[in-house]
Amino acid sequence: MVGVDVGSTTVKAAVVEEDGKVSWQDYQRHNTRQAEKVAEFLERMETEAGLTPGQDRIFFTGSGAGFLAPLVGAKLIQEVVAVAACVEKQHPNVRFVSEIGGEDMKTIFFTETGTGKSKQVYMQSACSGGTGTFIEKTARKLQVASERLAEMPYEGMSLHKVSSKCGIFAETDANTLVKTGVPVEEIIASLFEAVVYQNLATLTKGNTPMPEVLLLGGPNLFFKGLQEAWRHHLAKLWTQRKIELPAGQTAADLILVPTEALYYACFGCVEIGRGEKPEVGVYQGRDKILWWVKEGQHEQKAKDGARGLITGQDDLATFVSEYVRPASACAAQREPYADPVLIGCDFGSTTAKAVVMSEERELLFSCYALSKGNPIEDAQSLFRQVGEAGFTNMAGLALTGYGKDLLVDVLGADVGVVETVAHATAALHYYSDADVICDVGGTDVKIMILRQGTVADFRLNSQCSSGNGSFLQGVAERYNIPLEQYADRAFEAKAMPSLTMGCGVFLQSDIVNQQRKGWSAEEIMAALAAVLPVNVWIYAGQLQNLRAVGRKFVLQGGTHRNMAVVKAQVDFIRSKVPDAEVVLHPYSGEAGAIGAALCAADWKKNGGATRFRGFETIAALTYQSTTAAETVCKWCPINCTRTFIDVHLPGAKGRPWSKVPLAEGWERVISGNSCPKGLVEDVNEMRVVKAKLEEVKRDYPNVAEMVRKDAFRRVSAAAVAQ
Amino acid sequence: MGLLGALGFDPRNIVFSSDTSEEQGRQFGKGRGTVDCCYPVKCMSGHYGELVFGQKQKLDILLSPMIYTLPSFLSGHVAKTLTCPRVMAAPENIKAGFLKEGDAFAENGIRYCSPFVSLDEPLIVPKQLFEGMKDALPDLTREEMARAVDAGYKALHAFNDKLRKKSREVLEWCAREDKPCLMVVARPYHMDPGIGHEIEVDLQAYGYPILWMQYFPIDADLMDWAFGDDVRAGHVKSAFDIHDVWQSSYSSNTNEILWGAKVAARIPWIACVLRMSSYECGMDQPTYSPVQQIVERSGTLFFSFQDLDSTKPAGSVKIRVETITHYLEKYAADIINRKKAAMPPGCPLLPAA
Repeated sequence: MVGVDVGSTTVKAAVVEEDGKVSWQDYQRHNTRQAEKVAEFLERMETEAGLTPGQDRIFFTGSGAGFLAPLVGAKLIQEVVAVAACVEKQHPNVRFVSEIGGEDMKTIFFTETGTGKSKQVYMQSACSGGTGTFIEKTARKLQVASERLAEMPYEGMSLHKVSSKCGIFAETDANTLVKTGVPVEEIIASLFEAVVYQNLATLTKGNTPMPEVLLLGGPNLFFKGLQEAWRHHLAKLWTQRKIELPAGQTAADLILVPTEALYYACFGCVEIGRGEKPEVGVYQGRDKILWWVKEGQHEQKAKDGARGLITGQDDLATFVSEYVRPASACAAQREPYADPVLIGCDFGSTTAKAVVMSEERELLFSCYALSKGNPIEDAQSLFRQVGEAGFTNMAGLALTGYGKDLLVDVLGADVGVVETVAHATAALHYYSDADVICDVGGTDVKIMILRQGTVADFRLNSQCSSGNGSFLQGVAERYNIPLEQYADRAFEAKAMPSLTMGCGVFLQSDIVNQQRKGWSAEEIMAALAAVLPVNVWIYAGQLQNLRAVGRKFVLQGGTHRNMAVVKAQVDFIRSKVPDAEVVLHPYSGEAGAIGAALCAADWKKNGGATRFRGFETIAALTYQSTTAAETVCKWCPINCTRTFIDVHLPGAKGRPWSKVPLAEGWERVISGNSCPKGLVEDVNEMRVVKAKLEEVKRDYPNVAEMVRKDAFRRVSAAAVAQ
Repeated sequence: MGLLGALGFDPRNIVFSSDTSEEQGRQFGKGRGTVDCCYPVKCMSGHYGELVFGQKQKLDILLSPMIYTLPSFLSGHVAKTLTCPRVMAAPENIKAGFLKEGDAFAENGIRYCSPFVSLDEPLIVPKQLFEGMKDALPDLTREEMARAVDAGYKALHAFNDKLRKKSREVLEWCAREDKPCLMVVARPYHMDPGIGHEIEVDLQAYGYPILWMQYFPIDADLMDWAFGDDVRAGHVKSAFDIHDVWQSSYSSNTNEILWGAKVAARIPWIACVLRMSSYECGMDQPTYSPVQQIVERSGTLFFSFQDLDSTKPAGSVKIRVETITHYLEKYAADIINRKKAAMPPGCPLLPAA
C-alpha cells in the first residue's frame, strides 16, 4: 500500500507492507513541479520498494493531488480525513492537532463523546498568515539559511511587532526592524510568535486546545523555535483556563512533535485504504503521468489560458481613445506666483505629497517626498519644494493622511481632513455624480461608496497586501521592465494564464508555476493586471454585488497610472455592471492632496485667516527626538518602540505631566507607533484627554449611557417604585 | 429589580453579570460556547460563566428567562411583538455548554431557573413566572408573584418614562438652539459596550447629543405633529402604524427599528442616523435597505456599522467617526432647514411663540 501526499511545497510518500511495516519513505521539495516529482517518486518506489502496477494499491492526498491521482489509478483521500485517521490510530489520547503546511494551516479538535470521538476541523489556505511560507519568505529576505532557521530559538528572545496577518507586510516589518538594529534572532522569534498567534486566533474558533496536543507539518517539525512558541502559548493557556494536567506530567510533556510527522497524511491514506474494497486504488503505472509531464500540461496551458487583456486592435483602439494615462500634476519650475494659493498635503505611510491650488480651484503645482519615518522632515521637504516653485502667498493649508493629526499644530494647518473625505472630495470635484471611488495605492486599497454627496460607506484594506499596487511594481522590476512600459508590454499578450485571487505571497508561487508552464513575461504581467480587480473588489473589498453600489465608478490612486490595470478594471466592472460608467481621475496619484486643498478652499470661503506658520518657520523648525524606555508604548503587549519628536514652537503648552516632561513652548509629535492608540502617550495623557471628554459628555448627553448607568442598578424596592 | 425587590430579595443579594467584554468571554465562556450564528447570543456563555464561576459570594439561583414577546410601545399597532427566536431560545442553547462535561450549575450549588415569559401579555406573566420559579423559590405563592409582576411593570414603565422625558429634553434643547443630534437605530443589546462597542460615544465626544430609538418621546403632541397628516390622509392608522413601510410586523425590535427610521426622517434636528447591527444578523438583513431609504429620502445622513462582533475595528471606527463628523459639520445646518421646511408649522419641541 502506498500513500502519497502532494502538498503545496513538498511531495511525501510512504510504502507500507501488509504487516504494517514501513519499507520506504521520502519527502522532497517539488519547487512547483508536482507532477515531475511524483513521477520521480513512483519510479524510485518501483525500483527501490518493488511497487508493481496492477498489483499494489495507491492512495493520494494533499492540495495538489486532485488531478494527479486519476493518472496513476490512485484514489483521492481528503487531507484532513487522512491526517485524522492516522492520528486516531497512533495517538488515541490526542485532543488537538495543529498542522502547519507551506501554504495552509489546519486544526483538528477531537472531542470524546459517548460513542466515540467527534472531530471538528478548521482550515484556511487563502492567506499566508500563519503558514510556513510566512516564516520562510521573511527568513530568505534576511538571508537566514534554512539550517540556521531550524535551530533558532524562541524562548528568552525579546519579541517585536510583526504583522501576523500578512506575509508581505511581515517582510516589510522585518526590514524596518533590521534597520533599527534589532538582531535577526529576535525577528525570527517574533515570526514564530506571529504564526502561533495567527493559528490560535483564526483556527480555534472559541475552542480550547486541550492536551494532548500534536504538532504536525513541516514547519512544526523543523523549526525548533516554533515548537517552543507553541509550548509557551499552550502552557500559558492551560494555566489561564485552569486546565488540569495528568499527574506528574508537565505541559511540555503533553505537546508531541512526532519525528514521523511529515508522513502522517501518507500513513492515514494507507489506513483508510485498508478499509476500501480490493479493486479500489490499484496502481496503473507511470505512463499517463509521464505523458502529462511531457505533453499534457502544455496542452492544458493552451486550453486554460484566458484571452489577453485586449481582444484585438479594435478593443485597444477604443480603450486608448476613452482613457488617457493621468499626467503627473505639473511639477515644473514656475515663475514667482504672487496670488493667494491653497495647499493640500497628504502624509501617507510611504510618501508625502503636496499640491498647490489657486483660489479658483485650479491645480498649479504638485510635489512629493518619500517618507523617511520622521513626519517633520517629510513636511520640511514638501514646503521647501513649494517655496522653491515660487509660491509665497499662502491663504490656507489642509492636511490629510496618517500624519495629519501630528502635524496640524506644528505646521499651523487650518483643516485636518480624514482620508476618506479627502479622496471623495477630489473625485466629486471632477465627477459630481460619482457613485463609487476605487483608490488603489502602493500599500493600501480604499473603496468609497458615495450617497448624498457623502462617503456613506467604505472599505479600507491595509492589513493584507492583496490587491495593492506594490506587487505589480515588484514583478515588473524582476522582469527588468520599467513601470512606465508595463501597460504596453502587457497589452502585447494575446493570451494569459489565470492567476488565483488572494494572498500576494501565494500569487508569487503561482507566477513561478505559470512561468514554468511556459508563459512569458508579457503574459504574466497581463494576468497580474487582470487579477488585480478581483483582489481589490472581491478579496479585499468583500463586495460581491457591484451593481448594488452604483454605476459611476471613479478610479484613482497611484496604481491606476498603470493603464493595464485600468483596462482590467474597466472590463471587470463592466462585466459586473454592464451599464457602468468608469472614469479615470485625471490626477490619480495626487487625489488625496487635491481633496485636502479643496477642503482648504471650502474653509477659506467661510472667511478664515490662515494659521500657516510660514516657509521660514517650517524650514527652521528645531526638534529633538527621544527614543527610550519611557517612550515605549504600554497600551498593549506589543510595546511599540515609539519616538517622541519634540518641536520648538512658540506658544505651545508643553507636557508637564509626562514621563518625558516637556517645557512650555514645545510641541510633541509621536511616531513609530503601529496603531492610533499609541498616539496617546500614557495613562497621564489619557487622564487629561478623559477629563476633557467627560466635560463634553455632560453637555451632550447619550441616552444609552443613562441606560447603562441605571438599568442594572441594585436599588431597594422603594427606590424602584419611585 | 422591581420584580425581585417585590418578591422580598435584598438588593445586595442580586447580582447582574457585568457588561459584555472580550475578557469576560475569554475568562468564563471559552470552551463552553455552543454553535450559534448570533454574536450577542454567543456572548451569553461569558455572562453565565461569570455568574457561575466568577463570584466571591456563591449564588443560589441563576435566573435567565426565555422571553417570547416584549412589551413595546408599538403593541396594538403591529401584528406581534415577538423576540427573535434565537434570543428566545438562547438560554437553552447556552445552558447546554454548562452541562456537557457535568452539571456546572449543580457543582457550584446553583439552581438554574429559566422561566418562559410573554412579557407583552401582562395578564399571563404571573402564571408563567410562578410556574417557572416555584421550584427555585419553594415558599412562593401565586398572589405574591402577581403583586411582584405588577411592581415589575411599574418599575419598567417608570424607567422608560424617565428616559423618554430625558430624550424630549434633548430634542427641545436642539430645537431651541437649532443644533443637530444623532439617533441610533439598533437593537437594545447594542447599548452593551461589548456588543455595540460604544461607537456612538465617539461621536458624542465631538459634541453631538445621542438619542436611541427605543426611548424616543412618544407624547401625543409630538406624535400628532410628526404623523398627524399621514393619519388624517389615511396613509396609516396611527402614529405607531408601520404597515406603510413594513408589512410583516411580527418582530418587536424589527418593528421599532422601522418606526425609528420613520420618526428620524421627520424630526428636523435629527441630522444623522447611525445604524448598528451584529455579525450576519438574519433579522436585520431585510431591514437594511428599507431603513436606509426611509432615512435618506428625507435628506437625513445615514451611516451604518454592520457585522459587529468581538473585534472593535479601532482604526476603521476612528476613520468612520471622523468621516461622519466632517459631513455633519458641513451639512447639518442645511439638513435641519430642509427638514423643517418639509414639516408642518407648530412643532411642539419649540417653545410656544
